Amino acid sequence: MSSDFTTMNRRAFLRSTALLGATALGSSLIHIPFAQATEFKPASGETVYFRGWQFRTDVVQNNVDTYNKAFEGKVDYATVTGDYPAVMEKALIANEQLDVLYANPSSAVRYNGGGWVLPASELPDGKEIADGMYPNIREAWSVDGKLLGLSYFVTTRGAVHVFTKPFLAAGYTEEQLPTNWDALYDTVYALKEKGVATPFLPHWFGEYFGISWGFVFEVMNRGGQVADPATHKPALTLDGPAGKTLAAWKKLWKSGLVPEEVFSYNEAGYIDAFRSGRYIFSPQQLYDLKTFNDKAQSGDVAGHVSLLPGKEQSWGLIDSALYVMTARKGRSDPLTDDVKKFVSWYGYKDENGKYAVASRWLKENMLFSAYKAVMESEEARTAVSTSLMRPEDYDRVLEVYSKTPYPSGIWNVVWSEEFNFWLREKLFAFLQQDLEAEAVINEANAKITELNERYKI
Amino acid sequence: MADTTRSDTPAPPRAAEISNLSFALIISVPVLLFLLVVVAYPLAYAFYLSFHEIRFFGGYSATWNGLANYSKVFSDQSFWSSLGRTLRFTAETVVLTLAVGLGLALILKHLPAKWRWLRALIILPWAVSPYGAGIFFTYLGRGQTGIGTAVAGWFGSDHTLNLISARFVIEYLAVGAAWNMAPLVAFFLLANMLTTPARLYDLAKIDQMSRLETFWHVTLPPLRFTLFVFSCITTVLAMKTFDYIFTATQGGPGGASAVLTYTLYKISFVNLDLGYGAAMSFFLLAVILGATGLLYLLWGRKEERQ
Repeated sequence: MSSDFTTMNRRAFLRSTALLGATALGSSLIHIPFAQATEFKPASGETVYFRGWQFRTDVVQNNVDTYNKAFEGKVDYATVTGDYPAVMEKALIANEQLDVLYANPSSAVRYNGGGWVLPASELPDGKEIADGMYPNIREAWSVDGKLLGLSYFVTTRGAVHVFTKPFLAAGYTEEQLPTNWDALYDTVYALKEKGVATPFLPHWFGEYFGISWGFVFEVMNRGGQVADPATHKPALTLDGPAGKTLAAWKKLWKSGLVPEEVFSYNEAGYIDAFRSGRYIFSPQQLYDLKTFNDKAQSGDVAGHVSLLPGKEQSWGLIDSALYVMTARKGRSDPLTDDVKKFVSWYGYKDENGKYAVASRWLKENMLFSAYKAVMESEEARTAVSTSLMRPEDYDRVLEVYSKTPYPSGIWNVVWSEEFNFWLREKLFAFLQQDLEAEAVINEANAKITELNERYKI
Repeated sequence: MADTTRSDTPAPPRAAEISNLSFALIISVPVLLFLLVVVAYPLAYAFYLSFHEIRFFGGYSATWNGLANYSKVFSDQSFWSSLGRTLRFTAETVVLTLAVGLGLALILKHLPAKWRWLRALIILPWAVSPYGAGIFFTYLGRGQTGIGTAVAGWFGSDHTLNLISARFVIEYLAVGAAWNMAPLVAFFLLANMLTTPARLYDLAKIDQMSRLETFWHVTLPPLRFTLFVFSCITTVLAMKTFDYIFTATQGGPGGASAVLTYTLYKISFVNLDLGYGAAMSFFLLAVILGATGLLYLLWGRKEERQ
């Protein structure tokens, strides 16, 4: 066979091409799976401790079992009850047996501040992983250019859901659905006039992601910020979105339309309340659109729950979670390598190069992913469309999702959890003890300043 | 005949008997030593923390700040409001626990023979963990799932009735705490009652005492010391209750059930202000010691004299 390509005859060309093709095929069938299988196979013989909050633990356990079975892994998965961020923080301080955990970005930033995080950027394919994410999410999950974890889910918390049946029965049409917060409150009072007892379930429940996040997203949806994204300096004003939000809340509370028990709901109670069919509007998790339209889970409202359109403004905020690796002291290097292997498999691609876990979440619970390849697949469109009241709502979901803001001013900073807890209590007091909006805004700004000073930001 | 039972050799000296107090001390020493080891270290470490400002971010540091943490407690509004809720919750829990426990014990004592198996069942609430009790009472009190709404429904109302309201959430939580603790009190009181001689009741009949008089003059006197002991135990348990309240209300609605332990949790484990949290925890310790000491002065000493 001639080595000179230009003088190669057709027979030689065909023979060479066939040989190359066979080699490539052979490699794809034999070499790559072998390489990837060894890549994920743990070597230390030690246990990898994986902890998370309680959500579809059956799915997580099944995924972990799949990994353990395929690679003879020793991943130990368990859930944590109680105040999740605080419990995990204590575990990290105490250097407990903890290798991988779920974390919201604000928690991840705080854990990173304590030196307890092994950034995902340190994975062998860290750059490829980061490049495969949507830039806004990657930025939200990064500190000093380091990606803190891999994608668990991304969604919109506070997308306003509407139970269309009683809304239409009250004489409205779909075209009359409110398109901004002020219009929403106007509609709520109009419905009250029409005799609807509980037209609105606000995001005022007791979890750490309840009332305080409700305030943050309403301020942002109205075009404001709680703190500057770059400097973290306070940005609340009485005559701006924060003042308007508090005024609207006080009026709503005083109207008696919201039962006090909402304050003590946990997330399950909050979801149960909306799917009971008593409410028409409620800011909820975007992925719960699937839950509310599932007859098996939400018989009273299924098939009649849609979203408010996102043409005019954003709704809610980006709620997301990461798989974070810990920088546990005293862990052997081989075990750290095993942790990286497991996280790569679980939070990125499996041995077949597929986003198996992310795709499963999308299909089963409509949990969106930070990876472009997952979200832009035909599989994603099918999975989301089948979860909705009607397929046309797919565009509305994307419209709302694509506009959702992220509060980096208060979340990409080490004091995030402290401020969140403080804000939660202050907002409850604002309603229950009838505090002045001006006082609340001034105190919130002062609190942010105090935290910046304490943490030298 | 010679006395064969007597001997000229002196009897061996009898081993000196140890006093009850000495015996009690001997059998308690291992436990006391264990407790010292288990309690002393965290207590001493908390004491050390209370004089420092602890930081975890930007590298761990402990900076000496003298009595600043202690003096800060006095000017902290959340401490005083939490203390008020703690005292309210404790007083209500103690009264309810003792009253329900006593009532249950009386019922159990007079159960007909064929119903005595109920005595075993009645202990079940005490076997429920505080965490479980918290979840149970959340669902029971919430308007959309709770007993209030169910009762309203029986009377034909379609309104929801929420029991977890800011105005009386402390009372609601006290009912739950009493439900959890009262069966144990009932068992101890029942054991006490069963040791009261039956002839005392016969004498009461001869004296033509009413039921109330019999209860007051025959049943109650032997129970008074047990009631005192349980009032102390329940006081301590109520003051340090955390998991039950955290699970049931998370200190809410709003901050309406944020008792001192909840505030301590927030300071120490959410804000990670361990120095200040440690200082405040010593105030809680002082309140617990003060309350039990007061109970002893007002009630315990009198019972001891009798």
